[in-house]
Amino acid sequence: MTEDSQRNFRSVYYEKVGFRGVEEKKSLEILLKDDRLDIEKLCTFSQRFPLPSMYRALVWKVLLGILPPHHESHAQVMMYRKEQYCDVLHALHVVRFVSDATPQVEVYLRMYQLESGKLPRSPSFPLEPEDEVFLAIAKAVEEMVEDSVDCYWIIRCFVNQLNNKYRESLPQLPKAFEQYLNLEDSRLLSHLKTCSALSRLPYDLWFKRCFAGCLPESSLQRVWDKVVSGSCKILVFVAVEILLTFKIKVMALNNAEKITKFLENIPQDSSDAIVSKAIDLWHKHCGTPVHSA
Amino acid sequence: MAQQANIGELLSMLDSPVLSVRDEVTAVFKENLSSDRGPMLVNTLVDYYLETNSQPVLHILTTLQEPHDKHLLDKMNDCMGRAASRLPALSLLGHVIRLQPPWKHKLSQAPLLPSLLKCLKMDTDVIVLTTGVLVLITMLPMIPQSGKQHLHDFFDIFGRLSSWCLKKPGHVTEIYLVHLHASVYALFHRLYGMYPCNFVSFLRSHYSMKENLDTFEEVVRPMMEHVRIHPELVTGSKDHELDPRRWKRLETHDVVIECAKISLDPAEASYEDGDSVSPQVSARFPHRAADVATSPYVDTQNSCGSATSTPYSSSRLMLLNTPGQPPQTLSPPSTRLLTEPPQATLWSPSMVCGMTTPPTSPGNVPPDLSHPYSKVFGTAGGKGTPLGTPATSPPPAPLCHSDDYVHISLPQATVPAPKKEEKTDSARPCLHRQHHLPNDRGLEELPGLKGSVTLSDLPGFLGDLASDEDSVEKDKEEAAISKELSEITTADTEPLVPRGGFDSPFYRDSLPGCPRKTHSATSGPQGTSVNPEPFNSSLDKRGPDTPKQAFTPIDLPCGGTHESPAGDRERQTSLETNILTPSPCKIPPQRGVGFGSGQPPPYDHLFEVALPKTAHHFVSKKTKELLKKAKGNTEEDYPPSTSPAEVLDRLIQQGADAHSKELSRLSLPSKSVDWTHFGDEIRTLRNQLLLLHNQLLYERFKRQQHALRNRRLLRKVIKAAALEEHNAAMKDQLKLQEKDIQIWKVSLQKEQARYSQLQDQRDTMVTQLHSQIRQLQHDREEFYNQSQELQTKLEDCRNMIAELRLELKKANSKVCHTELLLSQVSQKLSNSESVQQQMEFLNRQLLVLGEVNELYLEQLQSKHSDTTKEVEMMKAACRKELEKNRSHVLQQNQRLDTSQKRILELESHLAKKDHLLLEQKKYLEDVKVQARGQLQAAESRYEAQKRITQVFELEILDLYGRLEKDGLLKKLEEEKAEAAEAAEERLACCKDGCSDSVTDHHEEASGHNGETKPPRPGGARGSSGSRGGGGGSSGGSSSELSTPEKPPNQRAGLFSSRWETTVGEPATSIPTTVGSLPSSKSFLGMKARELFRNKSESQCDEDSVTISSLSETLKTELGKDLGVEAKTPPTLDGPHPSPPNPDSVGQLHIMDYNETHHEHSEG
Repeated sequence: MTEDSQRNFRSVYYEKVGFRGVEEKKSLEILLKDDRLDIEKLCTFSQRFPLPSMYRALVWKVLLGILPPHHESHAQVMMYRKEQYCDVLHALHVVRFVSDATPQVEVYLRMYQLESGKLPRSPSFPLEPEDEVFLAIAKAVEEMVEDSVDCYWIIRCFVNQLNNKYRESLPQLPKAFEQYLNLEDSRLLSHLKTCSALSRLPYDLWFKRCFAGCLPESSLQRVWDKVVSGSCKILVFVAVEILLTFKIKVMALNNAEKITKFLENIPQDSSDAIVSKAIDLWHKHCGTPVHSA
Repeated sequence: MAQQANIGELLSMLDSPVLSVRDEVTAVFKENLSSDRGPMLVNTLVDYYLETNSQPVLHILTTLQEPHDKHLLDKMNDCMGRAASRLPALSLLGHVIRLQPPWKHKLSQAPLLPSLLKCLKMDTDVIVLTTGVLVLITMLPMIPQSGKQHLHDFFDIFGRLSSWCLKKPGHVTEIYLVHLHASVYALFHRLYGMYPCNFVSFLRSHYSMKENLDTFEEVVRPMMEHVRIHPELVTGSKDHELDPRRWKRLETHDVVIECAKISLDPAEASYEDGDSVSPQVSARFPHRAADVATSPYVDTQNSCGSATSTPYSSSRLMLLNTPGQPPQTLSPPSTRLLTEPPQATLWSPSMVCGMTTPPTSPGNVPPDLSHPYSKVFGTAGGKGTPLGTPATSPPPAPLCHSDDYVHISLPQATVPAPKKEEKTDSARPCLHRQHHLPNDRGLEELPGLKGSVTLSDLPGFLGDLASDEDSVEKDKEEAAISKELSEITTADTEPLVPRGGFDSPFYRDSLPGCPRKTHSATSGPQGTSVNPEPFNSSLDKRGPDTPKQAFTPIDLPCGGTHESPAGDRERQTSLETNILTPSPCKIPPQRGVGFGSGQPPPYDHLFEVALPKTAHHFVSKKTKELLKKAKGNTEEDYPPSTSPAEVLDRLIQQGADAHSKELSRLSLPSKSVDWTHFGDEIRTLRNQLLLLHNQLLYERFKRQQHALRNRRLLRKVIKAAALEEHNAAMKDQLKLQEKDIQIWKVSLQKEQARYSQLQDQRDTMVTQLHSQIRQLQHDREEFYNQSQELQTKLEDCRNMIAELRLELKKANSKVCHTELLLSQVSQKLSNSESVQQQMEFLNRQLLVLGEVNELYLEQLQSKHSDTTKEVEMMKAACRKELEKNRSHVLQQNQRLDTSQKRILELESHLAKKDHLLLEQKKYLEDVKVQARGQLQAAESRYEAQKRITQVFELEILDLYGRLEKDGLLKKLEEEKAEAAEAAEERLACCKDGCSDSVTDHHEEASGHNGETKPPRPGGARGSSGSRGGGGGSSGGSSSELSTPEKPPNQRAGLFSSRWETTVGEPATSIPTTVGSLPSSKSFLGMKARELFRNKSESQCDEDSVTISSLSETLKTELGKDLGVEAKTPPTLDGPHPSPPNPDSVGQLHIMDYNETHHEHSEG
């Protein structure tokens, strides 16, 4: 209740009337003011509303466990993180895996590999598919976050989350995708089936890379807000929405390869709308996440 | 050319004697004119007319239609330019405009008008001038508004011509000047009538010049005597006269009449309707009468009417009514006349003298006549004298009247002529008188004359009349007569008297023409000449009964005479003279209208020409001379004061007489010789004829204008009659409607009465009802008042009841109170009774005790010392013991209280502590989480480090491998390897150290695995902690089982000790124990510990057990307390644990709790 008293009393009505996100920043600030941040609340918040970009990095870091919930320890922990980053980077420099000329993304990859103990014997070794995924995500995050330490940590934790938390749910997504597509537009689905394109859709791009490289970062951020806050199902709806948006074009294409190719390189101008619609769709099908507390 | 020729043929055919051919040709011309718009045909026609004077052509030209008017005017303008054709052109113009073509308004713009004016100003031919002036006079009323431009031209012309009249330029024949003078006179009238202000100003300016003074005196002034003051001179102005708006309202004939109204000349003057005429006439005559004698002729008229008049009237009747008429038949009319005058008088005063005078005016005449006639008879002076009286107007009137009578006798006039040649020959006035005289004197003569003289004979008579000698004689005679007349006029007072008498005859004349008819029937021999007369007269009489009509019969004969002899030229001339002679009456124009329809025009103009008669004093001499010169007749005696017109008339008559005489003398063949012989004379005569014709035409035009006016007036009369009829009808209707209205009014009254009745009924009803209502209202009010009273009563009752109830309540309460008091009192009573009883009992007891006491005293005294001491001692001991015990009990109770308080206090404290603990725990958790976060970070860092080292190791190994591989470069590389080794060793050292600690830590961490305890610095401590923890958890169960036994002992001990201490030293020990905080060893502390443990180790299920065990211990303790009370306290003092140390109490934080816990678990 104390939160509410600080909030604008009109905020309740804004949503009723249909304005969204008017008071989100304020409420988020209130949430972030808490000492010992309530992770769950933050999760719920970021699932319900798009995060303001100025707090996005912070919220992500908190949600991904890069920062502890206590404000006191933030500085210290961050220092640790930084040191760790520096150390790893130094080590890589020492073992000459990276140089100053190495692209930052690859640096991040090597660091991650090093930390996960998967550093290949030689940097010239061919990259694994999961490394590709990492690189794609890293590229996206690099666009979103400025500080390289933060960036690295977010990438690292995000990938870790994908690998650990969503290890089981990710493979289920294609099925869920099929299901929701059927609900939304069965004709399109049947078309895909007839083209036998369903199985060949760019699931890797969509679900493993979480649309990194597929959507522009500005839209991607909003999708990832949800992913970071613990819902990987949003990916399904984004995919469904992409198909729905480009339905006419997809219907026009008969070849599975063409469809796949097209979907891998969808035009980026409508991505914002797609994401918004996808979030709506997600809310529609999975219900608006309610604060558990 | 063919067409030209054709036209020539047609023109020649136009004059063919065959009527049908002429008509055809005329039709052809008209057709041509309607189809052809060119000027040629018109020009040809005009030329032809100028050449031949053809009547049909004239007819065609006068009826030209619109598009040709311009050509005609142009052509005439051309002709005007040439001196030769000027005269015919002028006459043609006169013909054309007299017919008033529809395009007459264009005349003002046409160039013809200026040229005409120019001609009038420049020309010296009198004939042209006279014709031109007449045309101009005719034209003026048609273009009144154009006067503006040409006004001064008109005036100049007038000035010029008027001077001409006087100056007579050499070559001009004097006889023409008469004509000219007449026309100038007409022009004067016209100009004065139309533009009085301008004209007068012109006259003023023009005749103020000396050279013109003569002209004014001679010519203009006499003219001015014949006009009244124009009203415009008073109200109008020069500009107003020329205002087109003024003229727009007036038609041509209106203008003519307007001009005529101004004239005083009886020949010229015109009188509108019956009403207007009579006043004018009367206005004139009375004037004269007044001039002579202002005495009221009305009175005379009334008074002297019958006696004097009758003879005249009868005589006149005889005159009027042809001989066949018996006087007896006339007598009734005469009586009627006698009766009528009163009517007339009755009527006349109302109409004011002006109205009545017309009838009286004739009355004026008879006396004049009677005297003159008688005198004329004797002296043969006749008429000349009255006229001779200089310039005064009065004379004309009597003349006029006499003339009237002359008129009546006109037909006969010719008859006496032969008998008395001398008189008839010379001058008309004489003739008239002569005619009258016979009339007056002897009626028998007239019938004979009439019968004998037929119209056919007239020329013969006329011829005789024309003799020169006779005329000379007559002139002389006339002069004499005039003198005599002047004498008479001076004595004019007389004639006025019989006027009234003459009224009557006029009325009789105006009476329906039954006598006339009889007369006509009887006058069969007179034939056609007489016959028309009665008809006309009757026709006239149907019109308004105005004096005019009284005169009409006088004229009629003339009309009749003219009609019959139409064919003969000679006769015509003679008639002219005849007509000219009686001319004076102003009626002829009006008469002419009446006749207009039926009579052929050729001779009409003669009547009109005959008009002027009056006042021409100054011209007279000249005319006389003229006449003398022209006809050889010396007419010196001719009455001087005649208007130019009259002079002209006379001239014409004389001319005609002369001409007829000539004609009669000459045989037909010799006629031509005569003409050639008298060429010059004939030319003058012809010209004169022409002039006369012009004059005639002008007068005809005037007549036509009058006719137009008459028709309009007639229409008005008819309308008025119709309106009167209508009025009558309306009146009838009005009466009917009034009747209706009356009926309606009656019914309305009835209805009103009924209505009022009903109203009354209603009112009464209403009043009744009102009274009822009032009654009822009154009743209602009464009832209302009653009810209110009752209500007030009711309320009073209620109040009373309430009061009563209150009282009741009070009473009840009082009763209760008293009862209570009573019971109290009874109680007290009983109490007091019991007290009394007790008192009694006690008294008794006291008594008994006293007795006992006494007894005991006695006993004591008896027993005394040995037993009493012991007993006393015993008693004392006993008492003491009792007191001691009592105080003990008191103490115990107090202790119990304090301990209970203490318990409460401690419990609240406990709760507080619990809360604190919870907070602490939360905080701890928080800190733990925080620490964990940091730890995780650190761990991850460590992990990273590990990875780094691994990588490094791998690198190193790799490098080693490479080293080993590279055998060739061993030596070189050995050195390097050493260096590397050194570096590696360094690294390894630190790595080992690190790894050891890390591993240890890791192991520990893994061992704890989820332990929330924060890691303690120092491994021993941590291990002991962990061991303790483990031991704690393992030993927890055993201790839990044992604790219930152990603490109770302790507690019991404690309690007992306390008890003992309290028993031993109650005052000192108890407060200390109470004030001390619960130690960990105390019961409460133990319980708290247990609670903590329960919380920390989450062994909630065993709570109940502990609590039950607690209660048991408490019970046992109590039981023990009771049981052990008597036991000695020191027995259990040994195992008594250490007294509560203040440290433990102070160190009540979590660490402390752990320690105590450990201690406890250890213990």
